[in-house]
Amino acid sequence: MEFLWGVLADAVEVLSRAGPELWMVVALTLAVSAASTGIGVLLGVPLGAALALGRFRGRGVLRLAVSVGMGFPPVLAGLLLLLVFWRSGPLGGLGLIFTPTAMVIAQVVLATPVAAGVVSGSIRGLGMVPMEQLAALRLGRVARGMVAVREARAGVATAVAASFGRVVAEVGAVLVVGGNIVGETRVLTTLIVEESRQARFGAAVAAGAVLLVIALVVNVAVGRLGGDGP
Amino acid sequence: MRVSLRYPSRDPVLDVEGLELIEGRRTVVFGPNGAGKTTLVRLLAGTLPGGPEWECAYLPQTPHLFRGGTGWNLGLGLDARQSARATELAARLGMGDRLSEPAALLSGGERQRIAVARVLARQEPWVLLDEPLAPIDAEDRAAVAKLIAEGVGDRGAVIVTHDLETAAALGTHMAVLVEGRLRQQGPLGEVLSHPSDSRVAGVVGVSNLWEGVGVARMGSFAAAMVGSVQVWGVGNIEVGTPCRVLFRGESVAMLGAGEGSGSVRNRWAGRVAEVRQGGRWVELEVDVGGVEVTAVITPGAMDEMGLEIGSTVVTGVKASAVRLLPGG
Repeated sequence: MEFLWGVLADAVEVLSRAGPELWMVVALTLAVSAASTGIGVLLGVPLGAALALGRFRGRGVLRLAVSVGMGFPPVLAGLLLLLVFWRSGPLGGLGLIFTPTAMVIAQVVLATPVAAGVVSGSIRGLGMVPMEQLAALRLGRVARGMVAVREARAGVATAVAASFGRVVAEVGAVLVVGGNIVGETRVLTTLIVEESRQARFGAAVAAGAVLLVIALVVNVAVGRLGGDGP
Repeated sequence: MRVSLRYPSRDPVLDVEGLELIEGRRTVVFGPNGAGKTTLVRLLAGTLPGGPEWECAYLPQTPHLFRGGTGWNLGLGLDARQSARATELAARLGMGDRLSEPAALLSGGERQRIAVARVLARQEPWVLLDEPLAPIDAEDRAAVAKLIAEGVGDRGAVIVTHDLETAAALGTHMAVLVEGRLRQQGPLGEVLSHPSDSRVAGVVGVSNLWEGVGVARMGSFAAAMVGSVQVWGVGNIEVGTPCRVLFRGESVAMLGAGEGSGSVRNRWAGRVAEVRQGGRWVELEVDVGGVEVTAVITPGAMDEMGLEIGSTVVTGVKASAVRLLPGG
């Protein structure tokens, strides 16, 4: 018990004298997560609407891909992208390996299926009456999707929260493609890994507390915007 | 045109052969709950697969407005000109000052008014309406029906309903659907007064539907002339405008000649022109000055009065059993 109290005291001390080093990690975490959530939602919402409303070839395959993607192991996604971005890999020439851009790309891969899956589910959950009315309006494909997404607004908020939750808490993909380079690609989750490995538990818990606060604030804010609590 | 529709994945199976839809006419698809009416109209509208390829405007059974403003909902799927028309129709339905409100604040009847204005503003050559008057309060139905008839104009329409008054107010033709099958179709007045068999009679009843002109109003009652026959009934019709007269065959009493008038306002003397035995009931066609009254009476009453073809009778109907509906 004494050990745990000691860790907690250390954590409080780390936070009280936290310098620019920690805040840089926090800033990069927010930037990478926000960018990947934003891009993931921009891609995932139309994809989800198309899956829920569209009648096109390959829809079944796409649905399966989204289902798989929602549960895809982040570290495996990181590994696959590492192979693609490796200096001698297919896109090695872009020089993206161990950069924040690569981290964003990896997290977009993780966030997009989550956003698509949640939005698709909430549109299909609107029920028979709105869907019949939507069909009766004889709208074009894009307009139809926009009305449906607007109607399923709470689902879009959930998609944002779920995508952000997935990427901000994720460690495997950013670690593999980012490399956890101090001052360049280190984020809160990889910082926790590093500090734990070095047995600096107070610092690890401090980073964890900050991560928890970020996740909480974002979820509450998004819930408010969507007009529904959890 | 004749349409055949099949939809096997429901119980009972919908299997309609040769439903006749006439351009410029309003065909009522009539039937009890569960007859397959909504499945039929959804097939026609294309929201279920297997219907005809055609262009039609479609009002679904349950009014739904999407999250957002009422005015925004009113304009959904319409171009600028159609939107202006929808706004005008909505104003005539009393919704003019509600368009800036959120749609969520509207009642069921108000939502239906918006949906009706929106669907009528469209310009497809066919209009499909699923229970268009069901969410509207009884006292407002005649006015909404009138606007629907006007809004459909000379286009063809299919109107699904299980309500006789809605059918009488909106239809020109009728198709009767029972347990997924088409049982009878034809001009509305003919189907109402001459059900082809007892099953149809059981569903639709036997009714008289006449076309006339309003001649007088007195409180909630009004009178119309149908040929040379004057008929009093309940309804909000305008003097000098076309109207329809609806009353059930069971409401017609056979009065002996010279019998006191009592409370029966409509008394027409005539001659029995036709007798149809229908099992427990007898349907009589009585010619009253060129207009045919269809009456449903018991075989006992028939024998008692010694009625046969050619007999002279006085038919009577209480004014409260007669509905006068605006429109021709």
